Amino acid sequence: MTALSNPSPFEAALEDAFAARSKTNEAQAAAFDRFASLRLPNRRVEGWKWTDVNAALRSVTPGEASKPELIAPSPFAALGALEFRIINGKVSLPDEPMPEGLRYGIMDPVATIPELERHPIATLNVAMTRKALGLEVLEGSDIERPILIRHIVSGAGFSFAQTMMRISPGAKVQVIETYEGEGAGFYSHLCHMVVRDGGECRRVMLQDCSGDSVVNGICAVKTDKEARYEQTSLSTGARLCRHETHAHFWAPSSSAAINSAALLSGERHTDFTSEVKHMAPDCTVRQLHKGVARDRSRNVFQGKFHVLREAQKTDAKMTANALLLSDGAEANHKPELEIYADDVECAHGSTVGALDDDALFYLRQRGLSEAQARALLVEAFVGEVTESIENEALRAIFEARVSEWLEQA
Amino acid sequence: MLKIDDLHVAVGGNEILKGLSLDVPKGEVHAIMGPNGSGKSTLSYTVAGRAGYDATAGGVTLDGESMLDLDPDERAAKGLFLSFQHPMEIPGVQTMNFIRTAMNAQRKARGEDEVSAADFIRLIRDKAKLVGLDDAKLKRQFNVGFSGGEKKRMEMLQMAMFEPRFAIMDETDSGLDIDALKMVGDVVNALRGPDRGFLVITHYQRLLDYIKPDAVHVLAGGRIVKSGGPELGAELEKSGYEQFIEAA
Repeated sequence: MTALSNPSPFEAALEDAFAARSKTNEAQAAAFDRFASLRLPNRRVEGWKWTDVNAALRSVTPGEASKPELIAPSPFAALGALEFRIINGKVSLPDEPMPEGLRYGIMDPVATIPELERHPIATLNVAMTRKALGLEVLEGSDIERPILIRHIVSGAGFSFAQTMMRISPGAKVQVIETYEGEGAGFYSHLCHMVVRDGGECRRVMLQDCSGDSVVNGICAVKTDKEARYEQTSLSTGARLCRHETHAHFWAPSSSAAINSAALLSGERHTDFTSEVKHMAPDCTVRQLHKGVARDRSRNVFQGKFHVLREAQKTDAKMTANALLLSDGAEANHKPELEIYADDVECAHGSTVGALDDDALFYLRQRGLSEAQARALLVEAFVGEVTESIENEALRAIFEARVSEWLEQA
Repeated sequence: MLKIDDLHVAVGGNEILKGLSLDVPKGEVHAIMGPNGSGKSTLSYTVAGRAGYDATAGGVTLDGESMLDLDPDERAAKGLFLSFQHPMEIPGVQTMNFIRTAMNAQRKARGEDEVSAADFIRLIRDKAKLVGLDDAKLKRQFNVGFSGGEKKRMEMLQMAMFEPRFAIMDETDSGLDIDALKMVGDVVNALRGPDRGFLVITHYQRLLDYIKPDAVHVLAGGRIVKSGGPELGAELEKSGYEQFIEAA
């Protein structure tokens, strides 16, 4: 194991924790060595200039995270979801029979994700995760019950988790993931997903951690022929949160929708970063990001479409809009296209603005108070993202969360 | 009813209204005509309470109550309605939801009961028929993708729904065909009554063929420069505004 030179207190604690572990394997040792050269990302590292994780972790007390005392029921339980819990990185399986068409279990963490080998936190996650949750939707199965994965963090310290999902050919599934909990800890989650031929994964995420935590969720997804991946994320909590999506279109005619919304207040910082790599022809992606920032918060969006030469007839559209509700709020957007194929349709657009005075006056002339008018316009702005959730009951929970956030204003 | 007394209004430091006085008694419809840039929209925005339209002198009262210190929504709750010259498209806002929220906000401010969902739907369907908007339009996002004429119909729909005490109609006729003009006339004439007043701002006489005004005023250079009976509108149509621009 390579020693870190001049480590930060947080890095030193990671090093100690790793050294103290008895059950690490060679792949994990190699990953930790890679991390030792990569280090915790700071703003001088490309791709992290707006999101300085190293600085944010200075206020996190290092060490292994403690266990939460009480876990409240999830609002998503009402949808009849099959509930998995990952509490400070420790996986617990549902206490009920396995539904037909689904297999799951606790397994060893992934040895490496080649495309993320130079990713500092993904690499750290590979080194540090003890056990992963593995899920497989069997060929042709349409799982009626949503799969709920609750990532629950508590106390100070760090914790790491992995989920591995395989959606077999022709299978369909709805996945709900929540990041929740109290405390000023650091949580890293790495999701590795494959959607095989004709399979379909609809995934929604709600990040609602307490305002002291630092959270990073990374999803690496590969889609095969005619596969479909839909992701809708709503991020309202944590002091600093970075959601990353790395989607690879491996085979022709697959498609993805990547939608996200961030609702930010106080000094919160949310970063949605994504890269969609088109490696095969006829693939389609639609991406929409909406950020609402008030007080002194910051909305970061970095989106990249990378279209290789063989990916002809790619159809890719990216839109990122931010709404700044206070003078001190900030938005940083970096939409990026890197295209090597000549017969493609790729577009991106990005806007940052305040609420429209004309619209506000119009609504108030009709009788809405200033607070009502502002709330209605913000709801409408974010609504484009929540609308992308097809399941009505599921969408209602997301919409309720948006309303709740607006009422806290 | 609506009394405007020696009103001076500055927008961005420029004085636009320079001592405008006007009195629309209960039960009457008055028309304001005037050339471009004479201050017609400034007048409607100021009376409705838009930020940035500051009265530097003078007053506006509705049934004796001063309006100028009230927020726009408070004025709306008092029964003041503005039909916008350029109605907004508001993406993401569901039309029915918005109109019902607005209606209930006004009612709540007046201490009245909220309208029930069933009563509201009945009412809006009824009024939509009156203004010639089909149900499908009500289910859309507010004014999104509507033609100019449809947006004006949406203004008239809201006016018919809210039944305001006093309505200012800012160039509601611009961009309307004959059928739509007639519809506007029908809505106004249906609402006309002893306790209600209207101020109709227009460039042209033709709307006044459908809404017979009790009085016509000419606004030029930020002041009312001439007032008369309904015949004044027809007169202006022939002679134009030039004489008043010079006079102002």
